[in-house]
Amino acid sequence: MRRGGKQCRALEIEITRDLTIPKQLVRTAKEYGDRKVAMREKEFGIWRSYTWADYLDRVKALALGFYRLGLRQGDKVALIGDNRPEGLGSEMAALCVGGVAVWLYQDSLPDEIAYILDHSDARFVICETQEEVDKILAIRDRCPKIEWIFWDDPKGMRNYHDPMLMPLTEVMRLGRELEREDPTRFEELIAQGHGDDIALLFYTSGTTGKPKGALLSHYNLLKMGQNLMRVDPYYEDDEYVSFLPFAWIGEQMMSVSSGILAGFTLNFPEEPETAWHDLREIAPHIIFSPPRVWEQMVRAIQVLHADSPWLKRKVFELGMAIGYRLADRKFARQKPTPLERLMGWFAYWLVFRPVRDRLGLARVRYAYTGGAAMGPDHFRFYHALGVNLKQIYGQTEIAGISVLHRDDDIKFDTVGKPIPETEIRISPEGEILARSPCVFQGYYKNPEATAEALRDGWLHSGDRGFIDEDGHLVVFDRSKDVMTLRDGRPFSPQYIETRLKFSPYIKDAWVIGHELPYVTAVICIDYNVVGKWAEARRIPYTSYQELSQKPEVYDLVASQIRRVNASLPEPARIVRFVNLFKEFDADDQELTRTRKLRRAFLLQRYQPIVQALYDPSAHEVHFETTITYEDGTVNEIRADLRIVDMEPIPAWTPVEGARALVIQGAEE
Amino acid sequence: MRMRLPSGVFYQTYRQDQALWPTTFVKLRMWGLLVFLFVIFPQIASPYWLSLANLVGYTILSAMGVQLLIGYTGQVTLGHAAFIAAGAYTCAVLVLQYHVPYPLAFLAAMIVAGLWSMLFGLPSARVKGFYLIMTTMAAQFITVDFIITQYVSRIGERGHSFSLPPGTLSIGPWVIQSDRDIYYLMIALVTLSVLAMTNLARTRIGRAWMAIRDHDIAAEALGINIVAYKLLAFFMAGVFGGVAGAFWIANLYAVSPEHFTWSWSLWLVGVILIGGLGSNYGTIFGSLFMTLVMEALRNIVTWLTPFFPSLETSFLFVKEAAFGLAIILFLLYEPNGLAYRWWQIKNYIHLWPFSYE
Repeated sequence: MRRGGKQCRALEIEITRDLTIPKQLVRTAKEYGDRKVAMREKEFGIWRSYTWADYLDRVKALALGFYRLGLRQGDKVALIGDNRPEGLGSEMAALCVGGVAVWLYQDSLPDEIAYILDHSDARFVICETQEEVDKILAIRDRCPKIEWIFWDDPKGMRNYHDPMLMPLTEVMRLGRELEREDPTRFEELIAQGHGDDIALLFYTSGTTGKPKGALLSHYNLLKMGQNLMRVDPYYEDDEYVSFLPFAWIGEQMMSVSSGILAGFTLNFPEEPETAWHDLREIAPHIIFSPPRVWEQMVRAIQVLHADSPWLKRKVFELGMAIGYRLADRKFARQKPTPLERLMGWFAYWLVFRPVRDRLGLARVRYAYTGGAAMGPDHFRFYHALGVNLKQIYGQTEIAGISVLHRDDDIKFDTVGKPIPETEIRISPEGEILARSPCVFQGYYKNPEATAEALRDGWLHSGDRGFIDEDGHLVVFDRSKDVMTLRDGRPFSPQYIETRLKFSPYIKDAWVIGHELPYVTAVICIDYNVVGKWAEARRIPYTSYQELSQKPEVYDLVASQIRRVNASLPEPARIVRFVNLFKEFDADDQELTRTRKLRRAFLLQRYQPIVQALYDPSAHEVHFETTITYEDGTVNEIRADLRIVDMEPIPAWTPVEGARALVIQGAEE
Repeated sequence: MRMRLPSGVFYQTYRQDQALWPTTFVKLRMWGLLVFLFVIFPQIASPYWLSLANLVGYTILSAMGVQLLIGYTGQVTLGHAAFIAAGAYTCAVLVLQYHVPYPLAFLAAMIVAGLWSMLFGLPSARVKGFYLIMTTMAAQFITVDFIITQYVSRIGERGHSFSLPPGTLSIGPWVIQSDRDIYYLMIALVTLSVLAMTNLARTRIGRAWMAIRDHDIAAEALGINIVAYKLLAFFMAGVFGGVAGAFWIANLYAVSPEHFTWSWSLWLVGVILIGGLGSNYGTIFGSLFMTLVMEALRNIVTWLTPFFPSLETSFLFVKEAAFGLAIILFLLYEPNGLAYRWWQIKNYIHLWPFSYE
C-alpha cells in the first residue's frame, strides 16, 4: 500500500456467506451518505455527480418499482445499453429484489439477443434508448417470457404506445409510492438475500458455438473483489472510468464488485465515441481494459509520433529508448545505474509525462489487461512509459480473475501469480485448472457443459499453459488454437498475431499453420493509418478493398512482417500472406464480441483463401462472400486478392500425423 | 481560444467550467504575475523604467478600444485619439474648473468619451470599410483640431494648455505625485480593463461583436441587432478611450491638443496590427513591442550621435521610418501578429511531444 496512511476499506470488510451485493451497497451508501460522490456522468459538457445517498435513493425507488411490477427472487432481468448511472442503478435494483441481472452486448445482432433473452427466461428487459427498444420489440415474438420493456432515454419515444413499454421514471414513481405505503419493504427485500444467491448471469462469448450462461453468486463476486484488492488496494478517493460493456465480466469486476467494496468514484462518459476524451479528463487511477483498447492507444501514439516534426520525433524516440532500457531493467529485476536513473528523470519530464497525460494515464496506479493475449511489444511500450500495466488472467467462470501480476514482479510473457484463496494447477494434458471461492455456480440450463467445466471443484479453463520457475503462470493459448509447426513444435498463433499487431498499419492478423508445411497470415490493414500513409505518398484509393490490394500497401505490410519474422524461430516464420479485403467484424461472426478471432469459423469462411495460401503455384485468389451490417442487411462482395511470398516456400517434409494439403472444413 | 487542459482536470458545474483561470497551475501563474506587477516591479524599477512602464500602460489602455473596434467588431477606426482626448479634457476641465474629485471626474470622462464615440459610430449603421474610416477620421479632426483646439482649450482663459502640476490629482487621501504613484494607478487600470475586455469577449456581447466582424449579414440572420451592437462597440471603445485619457493627464504636466494627434490614432492601429487582432495578448504585446522598440531605437540613436551628429536631428524621421518598416515586415512575415506567434509557441509546448491532438 503505497500511499502512507491510506486505508483500503475493502480489506476490512468480512465477506460472509450472508453478505450480498445489495447489503454491501446499502452499507457503503449509509456510511458515505451525502459526503462523497458515488458516480459522475458527463452530460452537456460537465460531470454531473451523484452522491452515495442519491445512488441509494434511486436504487431504492427502482427496486420497489420492479417489485411492484412483479419481479421476485430469482427472476432474470435483461439489460442492454451504454454505460450509464441508470443502467448500473437498474442492475443494482434488480439485485436488491433478489433478481438476476443479464447484461447484453449492445451491438449484438437480433438473433443473438433473441437467443439470450429466451434462454435466460428474462421477464424484464431494461433498455437505454429508442435503439435498444426497437431491437427488443423486433424480436419480442420469439421471447414470449418477456413481460415488461423499460426504457430510460425519452428521445424519440414519444410515439411509442405499446402497453409493454414503460419508462424508468414511471418505475421510480411506482417505487416511491410503494415506499410510502410500506416504508420497510426495501430493507426486508434486501435482508432476504443470501450470498449464495445468483447475482449475475453472463453469456460467455465463446469462440465456438452458442453462448453459454455462466451463473455467478453474490459471494463469488464479492470474494473476487476483495481478493483482487488484497493484491492491489483501491482507495475511496480513486477515480475509475466505466466505458467497457457491462456485459463483460471485467467491467462488472470493477464497477460492481470492487466499486461498492472500495467506495471509489465511477465515471461514465458522455457517449461511447467520447470515451477516450472523457477518460483523459478524469485521468483514472485504475483501468482494466481488454488488449484491444491498449493496442488502440499504442496505435494512436504511433500515428501521432509519425506526424510530428523532426525535433519532437527525435526527443520522443530518445525518451522511449531510455524508457525501454529502464523497463527491461525492471523486468530483469535489476537496479538501474545512477546514469540511467538520471536519464530516466529527463525522459520522464520530456516524454513519459506528456505522453501519459495525452492518454489519460497520468495518474494511473494499476492498469490491467485481460480477456485476451497481449503482445510483448505493447507490454514493453507501456512499461517504458512507466505505466504499471499488469496481466489479469481468468474466465467469466471464475468471476473474471484468478491470476495477476504483482507490482514488483512483472514478466511480460507471463500472467503472474494466483490471487489469494486461489489455487492453480496444470493438468497432465497441460490444461490450466483453477480453484477458488469465486468459481461459478454452473451454466444455466446446461448441466453437461457444467460437468465438463467443473470437476471436483476445479475449473477447467480450456487453456494450455505451464508454471514457470518463478511460480508465474504462462498461458500458451486456447488448447484448440495451439498449432503444431512443421518441426512438430507447438506454437501459439496468437503470439505471432499480437507481434504483428504492434505495427500501426496492421489492425488484425490471422495466422494459420497448424500441422501444415508452413505458416501463413491473413492481414487486415488499418484503414485510417494506411489510408493516411497512402495519401502522404499520393497513392489513390477509394475503398478499403482497393487500398488493401495496392502493391505499395503489400510492400508496406511485407516490411512489417519481415520485422516480426526476424525475431521468430525459423519454422514459425510467416512464409506467405494475403491482405484481406475487409476488416474482421463481430457482426460477421469472425470475432467474438470481445474481439477474439473465431478461428474455426474463419477457416470455414475463408477456405478458398487458405487453400490458395497453401498452393505454391497460386499467386492470386478470387473470393466471394457476404457481409452483414449491424441492421441485418446483407451485401455481397467479390474480390481478387494477391498472395505475396515472404520467404522461399520450404520443402514439404510431413510430420507425423500432418494433414494433407486440402484443408477440411473446420470442425466446431 | 481555450487551451487543452491537462488530464485529470474536470468540472462538475458550469461555474467551474467557465472559470477564467481553469487550473491551479494557471491560477498560480497569474497570481505570480500580478504579484510581480503590483509589488515587485514597482519596488525594484528605477524611475526611468517606471516611466517607460507607464507609457506601455497608456498605450495598452489607448489600444484597448481600437482592438475592440477593429479586432473584435471589425469596425476600422482611424480617429481613436479623439475619444482619448475627449476623456482627457473632460477629466481635466472637471478637476481644474469645477474642482470635482478626480475619481468622479474619471467616471464622467469615461461616459462622455463613450457617448462622443457612439455619436461618431452612428454612420457605422449604414457604411462600412473605407467610408467608415473616413467618418472616424472626421471624428479625429472635428474633435481635436476643431472643437478642442478652438473652444475647449480656451475654457477659463488658459491660453493653449491646461496646466496640471504633479500633485493636482488625488484619490481621497492618496495624492498622485511620483512616477510610482502613476504606475500603481496605471497597473490597476490596465488589470481592470484587461479583465473587462476578456469577459466582454467571452460573453454574449463579445460573441455578437465577433459574429458581426466575421460576417455581418450572417450575424443579422442569427438575430443579432447589428446597429445596437455596433453602437455598443463604439460606446465601449470610447469608454476605454476615456479611461486612457483620464489616466494620462496624471502623467502630464499640461494637457494640450498636441498630445492627441491623428498620428497617435494611426500608431494605435499599428500597435494592434503588430500585436495581433482579436486578442488581449495582441493589445499587450503590441504595446510592449512598439514602446520598447522605439525606446531602444532612441537609445541607439543617442549612443550613435557622437559618431553621426546628423542623426539627432533626423531621429524623428528614423522613428517614423521604423514604424513603417515594422508594419510592413509584420504584414509580410507575421500577418497574424505577435499574439499568434505566442499562441503557436504555447501550442508547441502544450502538444509536446506531438504536433496535434
